[in-house]
Amino acid sequence: MSALELEGLSRRFGDVVALDDVSFSVAEGEMVGFVGPNGAGKTTAMRIAVGVMQQDAGEVRWRGSPVNLEIRRRFGYMPEERGLYPKMRVLDQLVYLARLHGLDAGDARSQAERTATLLGVGDRARDRTETLSLGNQQRVQLSAALVHRPEVLILDEPFSGLDPVGVDVLSGVLRAQTADGVPVVFSSHQLELVERLCESVVLIDRGRIVAAGKIAELRAADRRRLVRVEVAGAPPGWLDALRGVRVVERLPEGAVVELDEGVREGDVLDAARAAGQVRHFSVVRPSLADIFRTVVRS
Amino acid sequence: MSATGQSSGTRRIWAVIARREFVERARDRGFVISTAITLVILVGVIVATAVFGGETRFDLGVVGEESHAIGEQVVDAAAALGIDVSLRVLPDEDSATRAVREEGVDAALLDAERILVRSGPPAELVGILQVVSLRVRSARALQDAGLSEDEVQAALNQPPLEVRALEPVDDRRRENSAVAFVGVLALYGQLFAYGYWVAAGVVEEKSSRVVEVLLATVRPSQLLRGKILGIGLLGLAQLLLIGVVGLTAAQLVGSLDFASGAIATIGIVLLWFVIGFFFYAGLFAVAGSIVTRQEDLQSTMTPLTILIVGSFIIGINAIGDPSSTLATVASLLPPSAPLVMPSRIVLRETGLAGALLSAGVSIGATIALVPIATTIYSGAVLRPGRVKIRQVLRTERR
Repeated sequence: MSALELEGLSRRFGDVVALDDVSFSVAEGEMVGFVGPNGAGKTTAMRIAVGVMQQDAGEVRWRGSPVNLEIRRRFGYMPEERGLYPKMRVLDQLVYLARLHGLDAGDARSQAERTATLLGVGDRARDRTETLSLGNQQRVQLSAALVHRPEVLILDEPFSGLDPVGVDVLSGVLRAQTADGVPVVFSSHQLELVERLCESVVLIDRGRIVAAGKIAELRAADRRRLVRVEVAGAPPGWLDALRGVRVVERLPEGAVVELDEGVREGDVLDAARAAGQVRHFSVVRPSLADIFRTVVRS
Repeated sequence: MSATGQSSGTRRIWAVIARREFVERARDRGFVISTAITLVILVGVIVATAVFGGETRFDLGVVGEESHAIGEQVVDAAAALGIDVSLRVLPDEDSATRAVREEGVDAALLDAERILVRSGPPAELVGILQVVSLRVRSARALQDAGLSEDEVQAALNQPPLEVRALEPVDDRRRENSAVAFVGVLALYGQLFAYGYWVAAGVVEEKSSRVVEVLLATVRPSQLLRGKILGIGLLGLAQLLLIGVVGLTAAQLVGSLDFASGAIATIGIVLLWFVIGFFFYAGLFAVAGSIVTRQEDLQSTMTPLTILIVGSFIIGINAIGDPSSTLATVASLLPPSAPLVMPSRIVLRETGLAGALLSAGVSIGATIALVPIATTIYSGAVLRPGRVKIRQVLRTERR
């Protein structure tokens, strides 16, 4: 059953159509990646979902009811443009935000301490926020989205700006949230990360949803045959000379290519051997990035 | 679902916001230091005024029998003028020199012939000395000329000239004017500083983008209300602290004769701060919400700056001439009333009815202004860059 539903959202800015009839939903305990090129409408959709922007048409529902401020106070939101009080101490800031979300003073304090520790900034709790590194400020920002035990998480680019350790910490935190039944939707340009973390994905381009569903099903539905081939010492452009083969993604010593009907994998391997020393040759299934390129291009 | 519990949470949101505004600013080191400096200067001025200003007591040294006799007449004559003179009998000129130079004796009379002072002579004391000694010497001269004691007294005991003042000195009014001046000055500083804080606070939330996090959970109107309330309470608390410290210091050094009047004035100033602050706060919030950078704030605040400075100038002039047409009109207009009306009340230029009318007009204007200010603030606070008010009103009315 869908917990969070966005239905028929449209929004224009002057002549620019930012969202055009956008609909998707997130189930209880589901983690959804929200993916699309820059300017596709991800941030606009998320802002509308948390109520900091008004839609021209459409509706956002939570467990079947249209969301209002009372419901949104139980949402956890991290905006794309990070925002904290620079001069406030980390802990005071988290306590304050928890209280705005309706927690009482005692609960707010213990939750603030717990969340800061969970995200690895517990030892900086008494410092002013502006004295923290950007990466740590980002962790505080995530703490702010989580501090009030939200019923749903809507995170705009939560992983950008985090070091690999931070990425692991946040991945763990988000997995724990979904394990508790909290639906999570986050936007990201790191498609490998989305593929690793999410069961489902929503692809948006120029304000329209271009693909949505389980990542495994989207990949399975993609019937293209792809081959990854890397050859040392090959003359430049050797792949482009091959007939019935299209380059999907260029790599330092080769490419991922799509084979037309009638072309066999062995033909590509033969050509590669002829071109130079084959370092890598494999048949690959379309990744999320491949699907993304296809739907965004078309 | 505890619907009531949730809604009571919403009702208290503005209190949570106001508390943050109050606590974070009160904790700010700049605020603590500036408040401390204000208090130190205030106490310093009050003490200095009491110690150095309007000195009406003198120490007079006297050397010799005759000097002592003149000295006693000086004490009596001075007392009649409300001046307190105490005598110090000194053995010789050397000790008199030392006493004047080092021991704070204002003047010394040597053998009823010469007056010794340190540098600039204290005019009042020396004046009395001269008159008394002139009288003593005149009496002696008349006696030497053969007049009897009675004849001498009759000749010298002439009544002083009558003084008729066109405007009698009203000590109470003079003191009230001084208190009113301090009050207008305090109101001006406080309205300006705390109005600016509202605007700067709005810009801070906008430029740090924390406003997007906040508005995902509170209404813009709640955020604005809490901010204005918290900052206003801090301004009131600071004003109250300054008033209490100033009054206590004045009481301790005894420089205020009408303490009850001062307490009333402090009350009037506090009340008009509240009225003025709430009138201006919404406007300052609008000035803050339409820019994103602190540097741009000066330009959007300019109309408000002009209003407050202009009202301040009228307010200062109103102390000297509280019944002028300008002062009367300005004391009724909401932007200037907080800086003009308090003086007119303190100087008893207007009665309770006038004060209530002016307060009512200001409060009414504030009530009318708040929804408009809230609408502009709500529409502008999430827009980036410099926002046009007209544009906001057009889209918000949709």
